[in-house]
Amino acid sequence: MNDFAVFILTHGRADNVITFKTLKKCGYTGPVYLVIDNEDKMTNEYIKNFGEENVKIFDKKKMADSIDEGNNFDNRKVIIHARNACFEIAKELGIKYFIQLDDDYYYFGYRYDTGAKIIKNLDEVFRIVFDFYKNSNITSIALSQGGDHIGGFSGIKLKRKCMNSFFCSTDRPFQFIGSINEDVNTYTTLGSRGHVFFTFTNLQLDQKDTQSNKGGMTDQYHLSGTYVKSFHTVMMQPNSVKVSMMNSNHPRLHHSINWKETTPMIIDQKYKIQ
Amino acid sequence: MKQFNIFGNLENQEEKKYTTKIESPIYEPKNQKPHIMELYDNQKTRRLIREIDLSTLPIEEKMFLIDAARRHTVFNYEKVADYYAHSSKEMQEFMERSALVIVDFEKAIQHGFVKMCDDIKKQYLEEYE
Repeated sequence: MNDFAVFILTHGRADNVITFKTLKKCGYTGPVYLVIDNEDKMTNEYIKNFGEENVKIFDKKKMADSIDEGNNFDNRKVIIHARNACFEIAKELGIKYFIQLDDDYYYFGYRYDTGAKIIKNLDEVFRIVFDFYKNSNITSIALSQGGDHIGGFSGIKLKRKCMNSFFCSTDRPFQFIGSINEDVNTYTTLGSRGHVFFTFTNLQLDQKDTQSNKGGMTDQYHLSGTYVKSFHTVMMQPNSVKVSMMNSNHPRLHHSINWKETTPMIIDQKYKIQ
Repeated sequence: MKQFNIFGNLENQEEKKYTTKIESPIYEPKNQKPHIMELYDNQKTRRLIREIDLSTLPIEEKMFLIDAARRHTVFNYEKVADYYAHSSKEMQEFMERSALVIVDFEKAIQHGFVKMCDDIKKQYLEEYE
């Protein structure tokens, strides 16, 4: 695929972009761009470590003024601006297809009943997922996360959520909304209006536990806990999302989605009267 | 003769590895058309609208609040899909335009999903067999 690139969205972690190393470890050989903002104090380090041509800098304030942050906190230490900037950056680079990744993934794997096994040819795996994406007119698709399989692997499926890793195209742009919990806000609100988002459980990525990795969004979560984070989605989708307690290594409040009441069903064309 | 060890039947384990359940993302509507009142619950919406109506707010504020109150209407999209499958052509078209159902034209999602699973399995086997 020559019209494809990986974008790693990062901030303040120039010396610790774990995802970059993991991509190489998993056999990815294509282009990688680091997406940073013009308020990042580590800009020079990013350029030094990855090369000026591979670091794409966007105007964070300008982006903040053009999107719906869902609050009036005026806090720009969040990822939504980078997520939205990617579409324009891809256009400027002449790339049609791209995947947005966070900067703290330490694992890309296949997932079956027997557990997860590391992917050795990520080029081919990305090509396969993009084949599906291109031919099905969906808005975005993501790899599952380790947390999706707590309690055991429940089979290969397409969940209607879409978090963290987003396969995208410049000809299917969409806007992330709400300055925090932006992925959930987006797949619930747009999902309720007919956009189709998926998570493919046959593939899995793993990242550092929320709130345990310095930099990135961690400071934001420490600042307000996860109540404010989760409640952003309730504000945007009050008819089907609630806040509830999630027990894990770091017990915290979390969004709870009633899926039957959030996303329209996908049905076979045979039910449509011609 | 089959091999056994303390961890169980090896052949069965090998078999299991490649027969993981695959769940289609396509919803199969039920045979019976639900009553239209089963498709949504607007109790909270109606309560809010009633209170807004009784308020002394100016009309433009009332109109805004009434539109916003509709965000609390809960739709049961399974029932909505069941209803769609038994509706008239005109009703179906409005339901599609309002994204109340998503029609998988030419089985692009259904077949694409199966192909993606097959291709991933082939790639997995290439790397691990």
